Amino acid sequence: MAIGDDPVRVGSDDLLLSIAEQLKVPLTTIARQAELGQLTGDLRMTDVGAIGTQAAAALTLVDSYLLGLQLWSEQVELVMEPVSVSSLLVDVAHELSRFAQYYGVELELRVGGRYGPVMSHQRGLKAALLSLGFSLVEAEASRPERRPRHVTLGFHRTPHGLVAGMYGEYEELRADRWRTALDLAGKARQPLTAIGTGSAAGLFVADAIFRSMNSRLRVGRYQHEQGLAATLQPSRQLQFV
Amino acid sequence: MSNILLIEPNTLLAATYTRAFAHVGHHVVHVAGGQAAVDAADRRMPDILLMELQLPAHNGVEFLHEFRSYPEWASIPVVVNTTIPPLILADIESILHADLGVVAVCYKPRTTLLDLVRLIRECTSGI
Repeated sequence: MAIGDDPVRVGSDDLLLSIAEQLKVPLTTIARQAELGQLTGDLRMTDVGAIGTQAAAALTLVDSYLLGLQLWSEQVELVMEPVSVSSLLVDVAHELSRFAQYYGVELELRVGGRYGPVMSHQRGLKAALLSLGFSLVEAEASRPERRPRHVTLGFHRTPHGLVAGMYGEYEELRADRWRTALDLAGKARQPLTAIGTGSAAGLFVADAIFRSMNSRLRVGRYQHEQGLAATLQPSRQLQFV
Repeated sequence: MSNILLIEPNTLLAATYTRAFAHVGHHVVHVAGGQAAVDAADRRMPDILLMELQLPAHNGVEFLHEFRSYPEWASIPVVVNTTIPPLILADIESILHADLGVVAVCYKPRTTLLDLVRLIRECTSGI
C-alpha cells in the first residue's frame, strides 16, 4: 500500500490534530465575516465571496482527508489509470484561482512541455494537488510584506519521471526541514515555518494521498523556484499505441 | 479613536477586523509579521497592539520580548488574540501577563468582533 518510512498516517491522531488546527482559521474567518454585517448594521459589509472561498478551503481539506482515508483503508479502490496531468492541472488551477485572487496571490500554471499521461488515480491526484495548492496559497498570503505574492503550479520532466507540484520563493525549504515537519505534524503548532504559519495540514494530507498512490511529496526545484512536488510515472500503456 | 497595530498573518481575517474597528472609529495598521510590526510602530506609535502569537518566521513571544525592550513601547497595552487553545496557553500565561505586559489573552475562534471592540475600548479608555 504505502511506501516509505513512517509517513504521517491517514487516520492518525497527529494528522487529525493538524487538520483540526488548520480548520480553525477558515471557520473563524467565516464566523467573523458573518458577524461583521450585524455589528455594523450593514449586511453589505459581510464579504460573501470571502466566506465562499474560506468554506471552499475548509471543505477541500476535509474532502481530501476523507479521500485519503478511503484510499488508505481500501474503501475506495485504488484504480491506477492513465491520467493527463496537463489537463488535470488546468482544473486544479481553475479551482484555486478564485481563492488565490482573494488572497492577492498570483497563481501561475507552468507546464514544461507536451507530456503523455501518467499512471495515477485521477481523483486522488486532483485532491492531493488541491490540498497542496490551498495550503501554499494561504501560506504565501501570510508571508509578511512579500510583493508580488506568487505561486506556481508546475509540471515537468526529470530523469526520475514526471513531476507535478507547487513552487514559490521558499529558499528556506529544504528536504531535512520537510522531513522534520512530517515528524512534527500534529505535535508542533508551526511545523514548517519555512513556508508559513499554521499547522500545514493541507501539505500533510496531500503527502498522505500521494503515498497511498505510491508516490510522496518531496522538496524540489523548478525554474529557480523551490516547492513541494511528487514524481509520477508515465503511463506505458499509450506508448505502444 | 485609537491607533491599533494589528499583527495578523491571515489577510482575510485581518481585513475583517480592520473593517470592524474602522466602523467604530479606530485607525488600524495591519501587518502580517513581527519585523513589519516593529517598523510600523516606529513610523506611528500605536495606542494598542492586537496580535496573534503564531507569526511567520517569528515566535509571538519572542517578538513581544523584543517589542518591550524599546522603552517608548514598554507601556503600550497588548491584547493577544490567538488560535492557540487556552489550555495550552495556560503554561505561558503568567509570562505573558507579568513579564510582557499582556492585558488580555483571547481565544480567537471564540472571541467575537464585539468582544474585541469592547476590550479595545476598555484598554484604551484612558488615552
